[in-house]
Amino acid sequence: MRVRRALLIFAIAAAQFALFEIALRLWGHSEAAPSFQALFMPDPVIGYRLRPGARTRFVTDEFEASIAINAQGVRDDVAIGPKPPNERRIVILGDSLVLSVQVDLQQTFGRLLEARLNSGGGAIRYRVINAGVQGYGPVEELLFYRQYARAFEPDLVIATLFVGNDAEEAVASAPKLLGAARPLADALSNSMMTRLRRLVRRSMVLQLVRLRIVAVTDRLSNWIAPPEPPLQSYAEQPAARIAEGLRIARECVAAIAADAAAGGARTMVMLMPARFQLDDTDYGHLKRAVEGAGGKLVRDAATERFDRALAELPLPRFDALPPLRAALPGPDVFFQKTVHLTPRGHDVVARALEEFIRRQGL
Amino acid sequence: MVFNSLQFAWFFILVYALYRVLPHRAQNWLLLVASYYFYAAWDYRFVTLLAASTLVDYTCGRVLGAMQDERRRRLVMWLSIGFNLALLGFFKYFNFFADSFQALFAAIGWQVDDVTVRILLPIGISFYTFVTMSYVIDVYRREIEPERHLVDFAVFVAYFPHLVAGPILRATALLPQIARPRRISAEQIREGLWLMAWGFFQKIFVADNLAPVASHVFAPDTHATGVNVLLGTYAFAFQIYGDFAGYSNIARGTSKLMGIELIENFRFPYLVTTPQAFWRHWHISLSTWLRDYLYKPLGGSRGTAWQTRRNLLVTMLLGGLWHGAAWTFVLWGLFQGLLLILYRPFEPAFAALAGRRGPAAAVQRLAAWFVMFHLTCYGWLIFRAPSFATLREMTGSLFVNFAPATMDVTGLLVPLLLYTTPLVVVHLVEARADDVLVVPRLRMAVRYSVYVATLYLILLFGNFGGSDFIYFQF
Repeated sequence: MRVRRALLIFAIAAAQFALFEIALRLWGHSEAAPSFQALFMPDPVIGYRLRPGARTRFVTDEFEASIAINAQGVRDDVAIGPKPPNERRIVILGDSLVLSVQVDLQQTFGRLLEARLNSGGGAIRYRVINAGVQGYGPVEELLFYRQYARAFEPDLVIATLFVGNDAEEAVASAPKLLGAARPLADALSNSMMTRLRRLVRRSMVLQLVRLRIVAVTDRLSNWIAPPEPPLQSYAEQPAARIAEGLRIARECVAAIAADAAAGGARTMVMLMPARFQLDDTDYGHLKRAVEGAGGKLVRDAATERFDRALAELPLPRFDALPPLRAALPGPDVFFQKTVHLTPRGHDVVARALEEFIRRQGL
Repeated sequence: MVFNSLQFAWFFILVYALYRVLPHRAQNWLLLVASYYFYAAWDYRFVTLLAASTLVDYTCGRVLGAMQDERRRRLVMWLSIGFNLALLGFFKYFNFFADSFQALFAAIGWQVDDVTVRILLPIGISFYTFVTMSYVIDVYRREIEPERHLVDFAVFVAYFPHLVAGPILRATALLPQIARPRRISAEQIREGLWLMAWGFFQKIFVADNLAPVASHVFAPDTHATGVNVLLGTYAFAFQIYGDFAGYSNIARGTSKLMGIELIENFRFPYLVTTPQAFWRHWHISLSTWLRDYLYKPLGGSRGTAWQTRRNLLVTMLLGGLWHGAAWTFVLWGLFQGLLLILYRPFEPAFAALAGRRGPAAAVQRLAAWFVMFHLTCYGWLIFRAPSFATLREMTGSLFVNFAPATMDVTGLLVPLLLYTTPLVVVHLVEARADDVLVVPRLRMAVRYSVYVATLYLILLFGNFGGSDFIYFQF
């Protein structure tokens, strides 16, 4: 009787698993969806990168966008061939704020910048290459430049830093600079864990279950050892690793600039703000959350810290915060349910960036 | 410590493991210590209030039991009621009345000093003061014997499943269960686990997912059109139901696992056709408390029609104020009182309609349900509105700016349907069987299908970053 009952429960659980999987694949669009996860592939040096030739349509209740990855593994409809003599290439390195899966390629600030730079006609044609990858920080940007983006023969490299978390991500990813990604990837390549990961990545239900397990283990560890206040990059008294992260970020940008210069390209830095730096409601919520955890949130502290840390480098710095702030009040520059730019936000950044590039003679 | 937290999970596992191996008296000691720990997890300073309320009412009960002189007995009862109302009044309503008087004086040009001191609301005070008050009144009325064991009485007041958000228990129901050794049956475990799972579903899947949907519409300066106000109000109706009924079910389930039965607090309240039925199905422990200790002592329905209307209105006004120190709650109470008064002459007709068969009667019942459901929802609009100005604007939108073409399908309608449909389906099955515990009694395959689907829905779509239960603030 017990065996029959167990079999019945297993059969019901399996049948419902299949039903939820089908339903989620049909209607449950999110970054956990296998179609979205299929945009990425493992990389022995960087950890992961965009999968060449991948395509998907990303739909949520806030936005809908088509995403195509070209043969070189950057977001583009077409492959990037050899550079013609009359072409100037701008490569924008960065994270999800550059990749911008929330909008169509033509609406990204990279493409808008390209259109603006080419709008005057002339013999020189500009090509702006979106080399942003979800979740990248300064370390991955440097590795991606060396591994792939250098081959695009850029004339200008824009290293984009998201001030919200790039200091923390630099610390976490620093071992990759020593080549740590390779042995780990090799060791795991055929292991059970890798197979399990692949299985989880292919199932939307398992992806969601994985997120739940991560959330529970995080809560458990927070409960055992109370966490430090969140948003350390903005803390009045930040943890020591923030200074370390800023140092690593500065060294990575300097290395990108040196490599770019060796190839005859110039480099500039772009600082991207977090949504709460512009959204008062968001700021209120986070301020309370940080204060509730015993910290104090300083709204623009991370931007100022990155600005100071990078001041030592002889590179032009463009801060996207002032033009985005100047665009308010008005339609949203950030989406409500993600921390990414709306088409209007992209337009604001593209205009200000074009003006900056022209003014700096880049 | 909220039910939907890891802290509670560990707490309950530990307490339950000990509970199952201890003898009866030690179980009661364990429940007492665990309940005080549970309460102290919010704010240890308020434990003294809980202990004071317990000691005062235990003593009053013992004195009443020993006393024969009716005048003195009445005095003792009023001393106990006065003490509890003073606690409630000071901690829950002081700021409200101080602010209101200050605003009133300011309106007539008389500036007064800011007398408002910051008084924190001790969690669950409305619940445990009502529990202890009902005990003393019942002893005074000689409906129960005073409890002799202080530990048993303290467990009755502080019993952690019901301590902070009810159900508001009566001594007649709970004290005998605490006093006698408990046997836990397999059926109690099965039903208890289902009630807990269903309660978590109502809280994590329904209420916490609908909370941002409702908040979006009720936020100040939203200027939503009528159709979106309607959808936002539906969302809040299911949010508050999922939140409160979810808490009650987790409380009942937890208690069932320990062999102690708590009363049913909700019975498909949105399927009724009259306000009277609504209050027999919504927060049953509060409505019966108000009936027995306020409405009936005021005269109930024994006097003239006008006296009955007055008693209904006073009871519901105070019931509204019980929910919170804000004028919108008072207005909600007034609205509920007026509904009861207006429907009262037609109650026999509705009762007759419930017994009639045939398609015409079914259509009439459907129409009656539709009207009642929307009146209930309008009550929730009053209840949830952050201010009178917002309430006025939202009401205006419903009647003069409905604009159906502006319906927010993806932001309001889709989440509303997604998060309420499973709840409504299970309720219809329960209502058809007239049994809120019908699921554990279904055929094995169907029962397991419901169990597994409930767990999947919680796991895959539950909002695990959800908030405290709404009724904690009351």
